[in-house]
Amino acid sequence: MPNILVFAETRGSALRKVAFEAISAARALVDANGGGQVHALCAVPSGGAALAGQLGQHGADVVVTVEHPGFANFAREAVAATLAARAQGGGYRAVLLGFSAQGRDLAPRVAAKLDAPIATDVTEIRIAVDAVVVKHPVYANKVIATLQLDGPLVVLSTRPGSFAAVEAPRTATVESAAPASDPSGEKVVVKEMQEGGKGKIDLGEAPVIVAGGRGLKAPENFKLVEDLAAAFGNAAVGATRAVTDEGWRPHSDQIGQTGRQVSPQLYVAVGISGAIQHLAGMRSSKTIVAINKDKEAPIFKVADYGIVGDVMEVVPALTQAVREAKAHS
Amino acid sequence: MTTSNVVFLLIVTAGAGFFALNVQRLVRYLRIGLAENRTNEPGVRVKNVLSIGIAQSKIFRDHIAGPMHAAIFWGFIVLTAGTVEILIQGVFSDFSYDAILPEPVYRFYAFSQDGFALLVLGAIGFALYRRLVLHPRRLEGDKLEHTDALIILSLIGGLMLTLLLTNAYAYLAGSTLVGPEKFASRLTAQMLGRSVTSPGYWAGVFWWGHVVILLIFLNYLPYSKHLHVITSLINVFFSNTSGPGQKGVMRPMDLEADVEQFGASDVDHLTWKNLLDGYSCTECGRCTAACPANITGKPLSPRKIVINTRQRLMEKAPLATGDRMEFIHPRLVHGEGGATGAETASQVLGERLLDNYITEEELWACTSCRACVQECPVSIDQLDIINQMRRYLVLSESRFPEEIQPAFESLERNGSPWAFSPADRGRWAEGMDIPTMAEAMERGQRPDILFWVGCMGSFDDRAKKITVAFARILKACGINFAILGQEEHCHGDPARRMGNEYLYQMLAKDTIGTLDRYDVKTIVTSCPHCFHQIGNEFPDFGGNYEVIHHSTFIERLLEQNLVPLQGEDGKRLTVAYHDSCYLGRYNDIYDAPRATLKRALPVVDIVEPKRSRDRGLCCGAGGGRMWMEERQGKRINVERTEELLATGADTIAVACPFCMTMISDGVKAAESDVPVLDIAEVVAGQLVS
Amino acid sequence: MKIAVCLKRTPDSESRFRIAANGAAIDETGLKFDIDDFASYAVEVALQINEKQGPGETVAFAVGPDSVQETLRKAMSMGVDRAIQLKTDATTYDGLAIAKALAAELKAGGFDLILFGKHAFDTSGGVAGTATAELLGVACVTAASKLEIANGKGTARRELEGVAEIDEFSLPAVVTIDEGIARPRYPSLKGIMAAKKKPLETKPAQLGQPRVTVKKMELPPDRPPGRIIGDGVAAVPELVRLLRTEAKVL
Repeated sequence: MPNILVFAETRGSALRKVAFEAISAARALVDANGGGQVHALCAVPSGGAALAGQLGQHGADVVVTVEHPGFANFAREAVAATLAARAQGGGYRAVLLGFSAQGRDLAPRVAAKLDAPIATDVTEIRIAVDAVVVKHPVYANKVIATLQLDGPLVVLSTRPGSFAAVEAPRTATVESAAPASDPSGEKVVVKEMQEGGKGKIDLGEAPVIVAGGRGLKAPENFKLVEDLAAAFGNAAVGATRAVTDEGWRPHSDQIGQTGRQVSPQLYVAVGISGAIQHLAGMRSSKTIVAINKDKEAPIFKVADYGIVGDVMEVVPALTQAVREAKAHS
Repeated sequence: MTTSNVVFLLIVTAGAGFFALNVQRLVRYLRIGLAENRTNEPGVRVKNVLSIGIAQSKIFRDHIAGPMHAAIFWGFIVLTAGTVEILIQGVFSDFSYDAILPEPVYRFYAFSQDGFALLVLGAIGFALYRRLVLHPRRLEGDKLEHTDALIILSLIGGLMLTLLLTNAYAYLAGSTLVGPEKFASRLTAQMLGRSVTSPGYWAGVFWWGHVVILLIFLNYLPYSKHLHVITSLINVFFSNTSGPGQKGVMRPMDLEADVEQFGASDVDHLTWKNLLDGYSCTECGRCTAACPANITGKPLSPRKIVINTRQRLMEKAPLATGDRMEFIHPRLVHGEGGATGAETASQVLGERLLDNYITEEELWACTSCRACVQECPVSIDQLDIINQMRRYLVLSESRFPEEIQPAFESLERNGSPWAFSPADRGRWAEGMDIPTMAEAMERGQRPDILFWVGCMGSFDDRAKKITVAFARILKACGINFAILGQEEHCHGDPARRMGNEYLYQMLAKDTIGTLDRYDVKTIVTSCPHCFHQIGNEFPDFGGNYEVIHHSTFIERLLEQNLVPLQGEDGKRLTVAYHDSCYLGRYNDIYDAPRATLKRALPVVDIVEPKRSRDRGLCCGAGGGRMWMEERQGKRINVERTEELLATGADTIAVACPFCMTMISDGVKAAESDVPVLDIAEVVAGQLVS
Repeated sequence: MKIAVCLKRTPDSESRFRIAANGAAIDETGLKFDIDDFASYAVEVALQINEKQGPGETVAFAVGPDSVQETLRKAMSMGVDRAIQLKTDATTYDGLAIAKALAAELKAGGFDLILFGKHAFDTSGGVAGTATAELLGVACVTAASKLEIANGKGTARRELEGVAEIDEFSLPAVVTIDEGIARPRYPSLKGIMAAKKKPLETKPAQLGQPRVTVKKMELPPDRPPGRIIGDGVAAVPELVRLLRTEAKVL
């Protein structure tokens, strides 16, 4: 079994979770196919060697460090060129990246440079003799496609969370390499990075939304919803049409047919009965939690988890529990 | 022939000639509108003129202003006979009907003249009192409007006074023609006293006064909102608002037509009849007083829509028709919130009815409830103008409240105004053993009836309960029915009401294709909007079916004792029934839902809210408002729910899934726990289990 | 400016899918197709840029069978000036092959800006746009949630995991568009009528031998039915446990 080259994604000089996931995926692949080496390439402004320990812990045999001050920001062209140059060097069956913001951007570039078949956002990988077979969710996860990639070298990106980062400790050999193109001569230059968390998270982007309805009874009780959102940390606050009509919240917070249509990872509906107007805007959320005092409320029909009860009692308790859970993770 | 006769002839000819010139001008203005045939079914049209025009049936809807107006109107008709007599006298000084009529007939005529003159005077007095003292809200026009009204009232009063005074002085001068039947004239004479000098002379003066006021009145009309004196009967004749044809049916558009724009943005894209509506409006404000949007503080006033149409016509038509009679251009025709101050021709042509007079916000505020149309005493169709303008906004400019775009897109893609999968449409019926048309056909069965469920009934959780209740009734009665299941999709009515005729026709034609493929003859539905659309508007596209609303259908079943009801009378309920606009004002179904409640619950008390039946207040969802934000004023559903709750009823009944949503929300907003039930749910609750 | 927008035609996202008899495709019967959501954002962005910049040309491209002509017409009804179909027999999952076909066509087009959707609803790959840029050797910004063009330079905003990145780039460039950047306009009937008369050219797509093929399509296991886990405050610990272990969102 030939080797697999993995892009060890970093932000600043810290490795990201997707890097470990991709290395673990690669480790499992080479192990299942008669052995081979996992090579991890990281592009950092400095201190690349310091990452070798962590990467080796997860199964990297070789760590290629590429250092250049220009990597302080996302130098997409140089990273792609460097990955492609390393892959071109031979001996690789696949290049693996995480399907993160960086990986989404880099994988097609690498594939185009290598003229290699590519599959992104994969959840399973099998390597057969002359082909690589992957599973890739399509149609917004409503269908799972099994794709076959024909070619001696393929580019794959792994869906975050689909491959567990498991430890397979070894001591990685550290190699250093030069960038294949100058990171300071990029066609696209990062002008500014704006840290999240300071401003309000947009409803369209928030992974978690806590939304309140008329069941909150009074505008001041929206504090409960805000507190719960704050406990999640990455949550935005939404509202039903009834609430925005009453002027308890601005119209821009409205979720539903006439407001925003959202599909976060987690949607917490607080005191929302679930009128058609509202459901049309949030039904496609991945996980829906409903808290309502009326157990006949239509929201429970779409909710994955429901609690029947007084929002004034349940929500503060949930806020506390989420805070504790977050503190321990 | 005396000099006086010659002078009279000259004055009358001049007055009539000038009037004729103005009439010709006004008719020419109408011609800048689009052509439309309004002469079909003359029988119905004559009947409308007799009942709405002559018998003043709609005028009487206002119990105070109604009799007042009727007195003046009928007085005018009766006194016209006298006017003719006076005109003949102008030429043949000694003429009197006395000479040609049998004695009793003449006496009756003479009596009627005096009687009505007095009646009209009384009505004028009351009208002045209303305007100057009472100030009813709906008459609050601008200053010019007020002056106009006072001028007209004075002229009519003047006519009556001169008539009586002429007769009184003639009597004093010893005329034998003023018999005891002319009691008012004699009374006037008595008040004048016997001592007047040269009564013959004064009789002449007032006779001339009468003639002159008459001619002034006639020639003032074209410059006044009181043009309705001439146009209203004509307008009632040409109107379709009370038939012929089904009420509220929107006109199909030819979308393949090679036109520069679709819909109306200015007066020349409206039909001549829309423009005639402008001539016929007296600005009585009954439409605006009944408008749910206006009542709750939205920018829409149906009266303003019509007045603006007239204003703009008067501004643009002279240029468009090359009318060179600058000197008679009507400056007196005042406006309502829309005087644009355009002076030069290029300014005038650079403006239009939309935006310069009527704003987008006004047009989108309409719930298409038809209350304005219902109230108009002269059969003006305010809603038609609004609909034509909405069509322009959507089809030509793609301008509409942004929140309705998802509804349009979902109608296009999912066949429902809400983004739900068509595959889920029949889910409510799971486990109920209800066949789809396709399944029935496969088994070689021919269902008698198609149950058209509608989008609300298919996808809205609350409305699904109505659907299930109605289906249970149908099954309990052994009705052989089927649904379309996945093959049903929206017929396009919401798109049509929101001005998107293109999307509507696509959906409607497709629906007709499906219905015809199964050779559907009879359809029942629990949604008044589906009922109206499929039953009344599909025929224009070749879809002809017998469509029955569930209220009527259940009532028939109850009447025939086909519904297996529980024996006991059940709990005594006090129910307030909320009239759906599309059931009521569009289809005249007021009794069936009430009768259904009474038959199903023998001990029910039905109470009526302040506004009910054909005066019922809209729930606020119609005209596509269901998919729009209500950003201004009080919420219509809250207003309506308050009226319903004020009856003290312990249950509110509705017969429309849209009303259900709006009224249920209203009840929640009022923090009340009065249940809102559809009539089908009330009946289903009484079924033998 | 001369702007190209590359489109896809995809089924509505509310659709319920079935697998075709061959087990390697979805059953398209009953599905409603339209311009892909992300592509429609791209069209809107292109139109807005040209409206702002003054006279320009917007050209829509699509790789696919003749059914994509409907989608190209839709783009033209929104305001795109003309369209080019690169004809293939079916939708391919080989994003790089699509990029090659597009790059071959775009190369000589003289476009200042080439827009794509971030990815398409059907293949969900997000490959074609970036790969096209790479093949053309031009600048590329992916998943832009804001885009401004001024003085021959572009500025884009990208929403990353918890961070926003502001990029500057030179033209010509490829930009792939994220959702929410602008509400795509609703075509007026006037636009629809005008689109019927706009030029739509069809050329064979130079796809080459596809190296990514679909072996199988399957539906994921059904989402477990929702459940009420309890009443009141007592149910909170169980909810937190489920969110952590089952839904994995905590």
